[in-house]
Amino acid sequence: MPDVFAAPKGRQFRLLVKEHPGATMGVSFIALLLLASLVAPLPYDPTATDGSSSLLAPGAQHWFGTDGAGADVFSRVIAAARIDLSLALAGTLLSLGLGLPLGLMASGKGKGSEWLVRALDAFQAFPLLILALALVSLSGNKLYMVVVAIALINVPRYIRLMRSEILSLRESRFIEAAIAMGASTSRVTFKHLLPNVWGIVLVQTSLTIANAIVVIASLSFLGVGVSAPTPSWGGMIRDGAGNMASGEWWIAGFAGLAVLLCVLAFNQLADAIGDRTARTYR
Amino acid sequence: MNSVAETILDVRNLAVSIATPDGVVNPVKGVDLTVRKGEIVGVVGESGCGKSTTIKGVLKLLGPNSTVTADKIELAGHGDISGFKPRQMNTIRGRAVGFVAQNPFGSLNPIYTIERQFYELQKAHRTGVSKRESREIARDMLNGVGIVGPERVLNGYAHQLSGGMAQRVVIALATTLSPKLLFADEPTTGLDATVQAQILDLITGLVADEGRSMLLVTHDLGVIAQYCQRVVVMYGGEVVEQGSVMDVMVSPQHSYTQQLIGSVPKSGEKLNVAR
Amino acid sequence: MTLAPVEGAKIRGPKRASGPWRLVLGRLGFLVAALFGVMTLSFLLVSVTPGDPARLIAGPLADETQVTAIEAELGLDRPLGERYLDYMGGLVQGDLGDSYYSKQPVIDEIASKLPATLTLVLLSVALAAVLGVVVGAVGAYFRTRWPDSVGRLFTGIFQAVPDFFLGLMLIYVFFFVLGIAPAPAGQLAFSETAPARVTGFIPIDSLVAGDTSLFVSSLKHLVLPVLTLGLVYAAYFAKTARTTVGRALNSQQVHFARAMGLPERTVLRYAFVESRTTIVTYAGVIFAALLGGEAIVERVFAWDGIGTWALTGILRLDLPVVQGMVLVAGALTLITYTLLDIVVGLLDPRIKHA
Repeated sequence: MPDVFAAPKGRQFRLLVKEHPGATMGVSFIALLLLASLVAPLPYDPTATDGSSSLLAPGAQHWFGTDGAGADVFSRVIAAARIDLSLALAGTLLSLGLGLPLGLMASGKGKGSEWLVRALDAFQAFPLLILALALVSLSGNKLYMVVVAIALINVPRYIRLMRSEILSLRESRFIEAAIAMGASTSRVTFKHLLPNVWGIVLVQTSLTIANAIVVIASLSFLGVGVSAPTPSWGGMIRDGAGNMASGEWWIAGFAGLAVLLCVLAFNQLADAIGDRTARTYR
Repeated sequence: MNSVAETILDVRNLAVSIATPDGVVNPVKGVDLTVRKGEIVGVVGESGCGKSTTIKGVLKLLGPNSTVTADKIELAGHGDISGFKPRQMNTIRGRAVGFVAQNPFGSLNPIYTIERQFYELQKAHRTGVSKRESREIARDMLNGVGIVGPERVLNGYAHQLSGGMAQRVVIALATTLSPKLLFADEPTTGLDATVQAQILDLITGLVADEGRSMLLVTHDLGVIAQYCQRVVVMYGGEVVEQGSVMDVMVSPQHSYTQQLIGSVPKSGEKLNVAR
Repeated sequence: MTLAPVEGAKIRGPKRASGPWRLVLGRLGFLVAALFGVMTLSFLLVSVTPGDPARLIAGPLADETQVTAIEAELGLDRPLGERYLDYMGGLVQGDLGDSYYSKQPVIDEIASKLPATLTLVLLSVALAAVLGVVVGAVGAYFRTRWPDSVGRLFTGIFQAVPDFFLGLMLIYVFFFVLGIAPAPAGQLAFSETAPARVTGFIPIDSLVAGDTSLFVSSLKHLVLPVLTLGLVYAAYFAKTARTTVGRALNSQQVHFARAMGLPERTVLRYAFVESRTTIVTYAGVIFAALLGGEAIVERVFAWDGIGTWALTGILRLDLPVVQGMVLVAGALTLITYTLLDIVVGLLDPRIKHA
């Protein structure tokens, strides 16, 4: 394999692109989508409805067609990226912020960490989507609870992942050597353990964003979380669900495609990072 | 040793190329090898010199991204096997040529009992072998490799055995179908020093008793000197020297062989200790 | 030839006689303890969750007296400890409370809805496992060649598609465009009436009733939802199978089996038995995750199972229903994991029967 990190900057980038075309395309797609949703002028106001032009098929006027209320699907799909992606990022940041310290704490050798893992196992036994739904819905549909729900689902994953990785790292020679040379616990943790788990933490973070996008879409599909008239992909799939059986596929179709592409992009990114990490280890 | 004994294996110009994501590598380049009846031939060389790849290449055991070419691979009683298809190779493997690898735990199936593994082996090579028959043969084979009370071993699993026991089981499996030729690929790597000698005594004894021949891959010159009649020295995927153990040890011709022999500490030699 | 005989008796003998039973008993003990934990959590989830259920149920226009009345009716005004004891006492007697809306005992509703969900989940896991393991194993065998690339492309796509969206697309293609699937109206068409309840499983009950056309119709209605969940989770299976079968195919025992001249069929079986515990474990985990996790897909296909029931319950804050769902899903998951531990312990001799 060509060593990307040893190459000069410009070549580095070209090599990365060549080795991970999927991830490159994915990241470009997300960047473009975010940029478009934040600054680009949309062809129509995404919340404006027009009864006279409802359920128009995709065409020159409305690229992605219109929904039942006559709103432009293209404008709504782009505008939805704003709320959907920012909620996903917020949820991921919260998961990371809680999962990282808890993961470190759970990686100790004590009885306490053993129990924490047992408790997590039991917690994982619950239907997480139902739990998230109950949480958001019982709180009276607060948006910040969507963020909390994402963390609730993903923090245990960080903890398990870090624990298993750190426990196996602790067995390795260089950690033993560091301890034998009298390094303090915090030095071992921050200088030796953490730098070696960054790779898998980054992979997990990319996967968490993907998972968060699906959770948000699922919640909005059920009418919880982001509510109308704010455009969201899940909400659009909900709007278009009934139209599927009567042939107007574009309302839910393009919103679903947006979710699919975003998730695909972050999954590809996770694969690429994982690939990179695995190779650095060798 | 009779120098005009019948030739069991004659390999001419064997080459292996493996396609990797970074291009094609050639771990073995034009190797010639001869093994005669009753002979133990040592193959020695540093890690990565192509000695294991050579014997796996002869048996076509390398992965699908590798290509093996040879002018001929002549196996006594089977003719030139260099062009054999996988199905034809299965009549050679295990039956004409036995194989003993390093790390015996890895060689055994972790899920099946030892008895089942003997049965699968015999079922593959003999039609209509019964389980009872297979068990009796297996018991004899285990007795033959010095395992006392083979019944318990037959009913057990690989992970319940010690390293030496597991390698004995592997040797028993490799010789069940009475192959005339044995390939042993560093058969004692990973075993305790005392067990290593036992296993080497066992396997070379089996070769001598049954009039078999063996290719013994190792990186240990002491093993070569003790057990082999002839030696093949490999370096960088090529055979740099071969001949009787005595000749090669006493007057090595190639500079790599000279270094290899020079690296073995001799008794009485003064150690150069830096102060 | 000098040969030191080795004592065969030194072998660490497998504790066959008592092993499996100790395993089963140990697991069942843990199951009881964990079930108690699930019961407590399902109580706490609803009791100490932020928000005011009584106020939410009463709606934004209700005044204080109405809210207080609802609180009293729901028993929310009593102290937490007392409610907890009541709740646990009821559970032990099989009383999960009554739904606020239907006024029916929650346990009866679960009993009537569970078969529909189990049918869907079991068939989906079966399809996902078979399809996924085949795709993954083929990918592992032909690693980096075209069958692997094609498999990985589909795996990547189906892993990324939200299951409910895939369901909608399948409805569009197979019902609207091709017209070969029935309308997504649940387990049977609107015009059909369910057979007399014997087992609760409609395909079985219609056979018991001797109604073949009803049986065929129920199977037709199963196709799209099973395909939806099956395709999505087959992708997960394929990814796992590709890794584990790939590792097994590269293991030394498989190389040794090949070197012994075992036919390729047997060699593949050797690789497969080495990876089967991982795959069985994965099937159990997916089965557990789907109980409740497939709720949205149930909703898309108007499937009258516990998923749809729980979603409706949550959205109208029917607390006993929410508790009941959490309890049932948690308990079924724990039971699945327990069975899984036992099955895996029996499948793999390396696992100690502790």
